[in-house]
Amino acid sequence: EDDEIAALIEPDSSVSIGVGNWSGDRAQQGMYDGMRDGKAYGLIDAEVNKRDNDTGTWLKLKTNNLGLDNREIKGEYLRQGNVGISAEYNRITRDDPKTISTRLQGVGTTTQVENGLASFTNLTLGTVREQTNLSFYKNLQPGLDFNLNFKNEDKKGDRLHSRGNAFQFVAEPINANTRQLETSLSYATKQFQLSGGYNGSWYDTKNGMLTVNPGAPVYLTQGLDNQAHQLFLNGGYNFSKTTRGTFKLERAVATQNDFLATSAVPGLALAGTPDRLNGKVVTTLVQFGLSARPIKDLSLNANLRYHDVDDKTPIATYSAGGDAPDYMAYSYRTITGKLEGTYRLDQNYSLTAGLEDKRQDRSVPLLKNGNEKNVVVPLRRQLDELTARLELRRSLSETLNGSVSYLNARRTGGDDKRGKAGADGAFLLDLYNTINPLNTADRTRDKLRIAFDWAPTEALSLQFTAEESRDKYENSAASPYGLNKGTGRLYSIDASYVVSEKMKLNAWYSYDQNGSKQVAYRSNGSGGNQPANKYYDLEDTGNSFGLGLRAEATSRLNLGADLELFHSVSKYGQRIAPLNGAAPVAEANFVTGVPDIRSDRLRLSMFSTYALDKQSDVRLDVIHERWKTNDWTWTFANGSSLADPGGTRYLSDPKQISNFIGARYIYKFQ
Amino acid sequence: AAEPAKAKDAPKDLILKGDAKCTGCHDEADDTKPTMLDLKPSVLAIGKTKHGTRADGRTPTCTDCHGESEKHVNHKGSDKPPKADRTFDKKSKTPVEARNDACLNCHQGGKHMNWQSSTHANRDVACTSCHTVHNAHDKVRDKKTQTEVCYTCHKEQRSQMNRPSHHPVPEGKMQCTSCHDVHNDNPKALIKSSTNDTCYTCHMEKRGPFVHSHQPVTEDCGICHQPHGTTAPSLLKSRAPFLCQSCHDPLSHHGSAVGQPMPGNTSKFQTVGRACVNCHISIHGSNSTENNGQVQSLRR
Repeated sequence: EDDEIAALIEPDSSVSIGVGNWSGDRAQQGMYDGMRDGKAYGLIDAEVNKRDNDTGTWLKLKTNNLGLDNREIKGEYLRQGNVGISAEYNRITRDDPKTISTRLQGVGTTTQVENGLASFTNLTLGTVREQTNLSFYKNLQPGLDFNLNFKNEDKKGDRLHSRGNAFQFVAEPINANTRQLETSLSYATKQFQLSGGYNGSWYDTKNGMLTVNPGAPVYLTQGLDNQAHQLFLNGGYNFSKTTRGTFKLERAVATQNDFLATSAVPGLALAGTPDRLNGKVVTTLVQFGLSARPIKDLSLNANLRYHDVDDKTPIATYSAGGDAPDYMAYSYRTITGKLEGTYRLDQNYSLTAGLEDKRQDRSVPLLKNGNEKNVVVPLRRQLDELTARLELRRSLSETLNGSVSYLNARRTGGDDKRGKAGADGAFLLDLYNTINPLNTADRTRDKLRIAFDWAPTEALSLQFTAEESRDKYENSAASPYGLNKGTGRLYSIDASYVVSEKMKLNAWYSYDQNGSKQVAYRSNGSGGNQPANKYYDLEDTGNSFGLGLRAEATSRLNLGADLELFHSVSKYGQRIAPLNGAAPVAEANFVTGVPDIRSDRLRLSMFSTYALDKQSDVRLDVIHERWKTNDWTWTFANGSSLADPGGTRYLSDPKQISNFIGARYIYKFQ
Repeated sequence: AAEPAKAKDAPKDLILKGDAKCTGCHDEADDTKPTMLDLKPSVLAIGKTKHGTRADGRTPTCTDCHGESEKHVNHKGSDKPPKADRTFDKKSKTPVEARNDACLNCHQGGKHMNWQSSTHANRDVACTSCHTVHNAHDKVRDKKTQTEVCYTCHKEQRSQMNRPSHHPVPEGKMQCTSCHDVHNDNPKALIKSSTNDTCYTCHMEKRGPFVHSHQPVTEDCGICHQPHGTTAPSLLKSRAPFLCQSCHDPLSHHGSAVGQPMPGNTSKFQTVGRACVNCHISIHGSNSTENNGQVQSLRR
């Protein structure tokens, strides 16, 4: 009897060891899972949980993918309610699906020579994030906890890049270290809670600059060493059983004062240019919240938030001429007020109404002499967004629960900083101010969402979701360009059916579609020498389908199967309307417009687990996977692989089929 | 002689202090035991969890969460007893606030300080809508299974994660809570107080500030990127040049029509490859001090 009870109440552990094989390369599907190549892999996982019941002391060890390049392992000691420490090692790999055929010399270094190799070589670019995490917890006295978390990450590898001002392959060498420290001291009673602490983060790169030869060297810069220090305090107080107030205070200083490597290259920089930016951004957050239930059926939630991002970087001149010779500081002060109330209409129905007003003050960049800088994209000094929300919700029913919600958000702005003067000959007279930038344009958003769960029988449950959203950008005759309309649509159904106590089925299907209509202008010099309006009609549609089966076939044999299908279509409609009314002129050696992109993915996975005895199982996994796309991103118009003017060719496999078979032995113990 | 026998027969606690009141009936014979299908939760499996660690003086007992439930406990007869005072299953009649109060009695501090003003709390989401307390494997706390829980409501994100460009969430190397703190009240339920601060936790090289900056980058990564997944490369909401042309003027080549070059064309790469970024390589900001107009337009 004791053994039976122990089996039910003591922590479980297991170790599994096996081997699996992919039959073919999976450049797209294996981008992140550490199994890109068609070959055999070790399958090693473990989860060991031991607890001393007398002291409440846990010893835990967990490993995932120990036989793969993206392995992770975590060990933990915890004397529950007293002290705990854990250490974790984790690798995240990313393999670029493309193969690059190039003569670039020096990949992986900070000096690269285009066409420096005598013959072409095939490269696969990728990065590895190697993370080490250390956590410490100590309960200092009842209700008072100290927490510390330190994370170190080394990121190494190479990323697709180009020469700069020219489409010519170079590989950005990545060799950087990131550290993050989070400490907090938290005190909690039933009535009052307070938590404060320090967060620090540091980024250090070993590759601040990449030099590209031959000819006059090109110097490419990367993100430089930077750091941030934040103090925070968060508190909550229960004024009564139904009324609670909270506050948050945060102050962060982020700096970037690394050496600017290009300043040391003779003749490259303007005389007197600083060799460090001394960048400094100060972020302040002050927030107050109140949640209350003033009467039995009404609950209220109010929030006032002040968030200020203040760029205090000194303004210096970094190059002569042009529009942006001086450092450009952008600061944002956002004040958000929110009030939301929920009224219980009866036992099942409730109505929620909410209003949120977000007001943002935005700086415009100043020159060193204090004057406002010319801008090529119009800016707004102020943005306001008012969002109203209404939701009717049905809950606590055994058969049908759900909600209908409607949202309206209207964004407007003012005190615009207009773009500099500029005209496109006789065609466009205010060149820079005819566009409404997507992040600041006046916009009205309407969104309707219906979601409900229905359980018509004990065995069957269904879930429906339908969403429709529409964005309307309020462009004017004087500024007709930019986004015009946006749409979002989602229909989804999920079903779960318990066939018997030994078998369960689930299925789901989702259709989603996002679209936008956009108007852009093509100037005299934009190719074709034919000023024209371009009307873009973009649409992205996804169809996702899933089917799952789980069956306890016998007391020893468990079976499972999952089918996942995904089909997406992206359409890129373009209509060119020359202003002179003529037909569009074809451009030489160029095909105007692009085809739809269709992508299909199928993954059928099956497993069976057979219990050899109480302590050991064997598991068999079989997967069939297919991927197909006609994505033209890396092809010429005739379908051949894209080559840049330097001769590097970018190869991607539009069709990938691979099969996996794996077997594991699982040992279970307590 | 009868007294010692009575004492011997009295049910003893199985897991938690005072749980005999419940485990007298909900014992090993009654327990459904964890199975692959997990159709009925195992009551006793709480013993495998931190809530079942009795040596920790803070650990609750059954009635701390479920209430004293006198009617349930004192029920006689062979028919189904009335439910406990506070239940947490999918068909529970217990109001969500009352269910959550059971958890907040102990978990109101630290990371749950702002739960009441979070979006989830104000949409009637119960703690147990996501967490399974009577289970050693709480799916939502496991990187590999967390999405199963989140996708229960967030269908759009499930579809987006299927797209070719995505964070390594389907592969189990990231999870929703890598970016989202659903117990907090930050905008978009993010782990940090802004989108950018959240992104910088992994992409700190983008934090800058840069000698030459790109305005939307300083404002919100989400202006250009859809982090849940896209067909366009690099998680872009819309691919270049469409995306770039929604802000930038048509001067020079900026307004070029979309299309593909034929082999041998060495200049019209505005749509293929990385499109605008083929040349404007430092789109997140440049740290070059080169006295050159190309640097100002992020081409170095």
